[in-house]
Amino acid sequence: MTGFCTFLACATLALLLPSKLVAGTTDDALLQMGWDEIVELARGGEVNWFMWGGSDEINQYVSDYIGGLLRDRYDIVLNRVGVSDTVEVVNLVLGEREAGNLDDGAVDLMWINGENFRTMLQGDLVFCGYPDLLPNNVLVDWDNPAIANDFGVPVNGCEVPWSTAQFAFAHNTALVAQPPRSIPELLVWIRENPGLFTYPAPPDFNGSVFVRHVFYHAAGGVETLPDAFDQTRFDDVAARTWRILNGIEPSLWREGQTYPATIAALDQLYANQEVAITFNYEPATIGIGIENGSLPPTTQGYAMTDGTIGNTNYTLIPFNSPNKAAAMVLQNLLLSPEAQIEKAQPGVWGAQPGIDMTQVKGPLRAAFDATERHPNVVPVEDLAETVLPELQAAWITAIEQGWIAHVGNN
Amino acid sequence: MIGGDGIWARWFRTLTCLFLLVWLSLPMVPLAIWSFAHGWFFPDILPQEWTLEAWRHALSDKSGVLDALWLTVGIALAATALSILIGVPAGRALGMHRFRGKAVVEIMIMAPIIVPGIAVVLGLHSVFIWMGLTNTVSGVILVHLIPTLPYVILVMAGVFANHDPAFEAQARSLGASAFQTFRCVTLPAILPGIIVGALFAFLVSWSQYILTLIIGGGRVATLPLVLFNFATSGRNDLTGAIGMLYILPGLLILLITARQLSGCAGAVGGLGRV
Repeated sequence: MTGFCTFLACATLALLLPSKLVAGTTDDALLQMGWDEIVELARGGEVNWFMWGGSDEINQYVSDYIGGLLRDRYDIVLNRVGVSDTVEVVNLVLGEREAGNLDDGAVDLMWINGENFRTMLQGDLVFCGYPDLLPNNVLVDWDNPAIANDFGVPVNGCEVPWSTAQFAFAHNTALVAQPPRSIPELLVWIRENPGLFTYPAPPDFNGSVFVRHVFYHAAGGVETLPDAFDQTRFDDVAARTWRILNGIEPSLWREGQTYPATIAALDQLYANQEVAITFNYEPATIGIGIENGSLPPTTQGYAMTDGTIGNTNYTLIPFNSPNKAAAMVLQNLLLSPEAQIEKAQPGVWGAQPGIDMTQVKGPLRAAFDATERHPNVVPVEDLAETVLPELQAAWITAIEQGWIAHVGNN
Repeated sequence: MIGGDGIWARWFRTLTCLFLLVWLSLPMVPLAIWSFAHGWFFPDILPQEWTLEAWRHALSDKSGVLDALWLTVGIALAATALSILIGVPAGRALGMHRFRGKAVVEIMIMAPIIVPGIAVVLGLHSVFIWMGLTNTVSGVILVHLIPTLPYVILVMAGVFANHDPAFEAQARSLGASAFQTFRCVTLPAILPGIIVGALFAFLVSWSQYILTLIIGGGRVATLPLVLFNFATSGRNDLTGAIGMLYILPGLLILLITARQLSGCAGAVGGLGRV
């Protein structure tokens, strides 16, 4: 037993020593540096990017395309770490802080937005104040409130936008020729077509967005809701929302006795024609799903005439990342027009840019304008007509918990 | 007493064997089909379009699936070796000796089987951070010992409980060194136990998810982690291909060790006589 303990002690020492030597640059010193100095500091290093890993198309874009550029131009090794849910990464960083790991964390960059961003901020887990140092930051339209606020929380130099997304529906043209094109129409359609619709139970990301659309409808429009959380207004609108959702419940798939737990489960029901409509916060998923065989080719994405909710997703550097310079070089590369255009290609991913493409000129702009959407994915123009804002995280949490108490467990 | 069995007993054996085979292999059929399917939707009995795309992806050096496979093999082998190294002496102490507090020690050893890993993993995470072992392969190997050791120790304690130390004493009295005694007397006697214990340890380590995820910090990407990524995102084709790869080593080990253990009918030997 003593031998084993000695082994542990030695292993501990061996692992602790080099990290103390590497973490030589303080955050303050880094923020004083010029971009060239940061690039030189990052050169030859590595960066560990934790992100949702369930799409091999996104994985390939990140590992091959981005990883390749990072290696060729900066000699930086990109380790893409796939997770099933970003909250796992939040908990990982939180655990490190609690255990006193303040400068040698596992995570250098994470793909994030919304509630997870709020949790990271509340836990004081975020490295902030650097985006101005990134040369490509000039392409970010920080005057756009949808970029400068992540689900109502001011970004304040703590995140860098990566992509924008807007909720879209999709229907199986083999089952439904004319899908309902507004939330009120959808609610009527559900009653007239029992069993052909359901939604993932919140707090599933996509299920939660669907419930928010109904919440906006019950409120008489998102513009009637104050920015800051208001309990009386919430109670009033929530009561109406639960009445609507409980009202359609008998007409849902399996009479609403159960809800799919995840968007993947809903897509599976949809693919097997149990339901006729699905939806996604990333409309390009429809094209990718058709191409990789997880969705039927008769799927067509469409927009709602009364608008759908849009958001921006970001990358974030945790406070205890040991490779902040390399993470910043990676973020700058992600913001570059060429990387954003590649990401927007339908065969690659189809995600909409996080930068303002009107700032981009010349052949790159022409290349972007020539980008075609997958024919079955809803056209960007259709969606852009009415983009609804996201609510602040406090509203979202209240709606999710209210749904579980009054609809899910009812 | 095989020769004395009646026709019904033989029929019964054949039927149970067939039942077991079907029961074990049936869940793998949809996995196997999905791994070659390009879309497979109700009401089609079989996919309309077949493809090798999922396998091409799983076996390409870009997807990281093969890296994960080798890493998982390495971790499971290391955890198995360490479990045997610790488990054999521990099993001998528990199986052959009576000492004060033995019941407490036995309960402590059983504890990881009784207490689910997910309940203690956050506490373990703190301890491992404190020791500087998080996000490393060695940390993951060490944490795998927690669920693997109880199986090895229990198996070895059982083996040693039936082990007669008089044989060892005899060898020593005839002039064998301690090492010779172990190699020529003790080891052959306990080898089947070691194989069973190693098999358990390997398979338990092989199937760890939450301990690997938390202690490895996602950086130690073993095959179950990669598999879970695709399984939760609804990519049935990739899940099928990676799932088949994931099953393979367990199956191989079972077949190999079944021959080794064939005191009575092993998984393969039994089939041979049907």
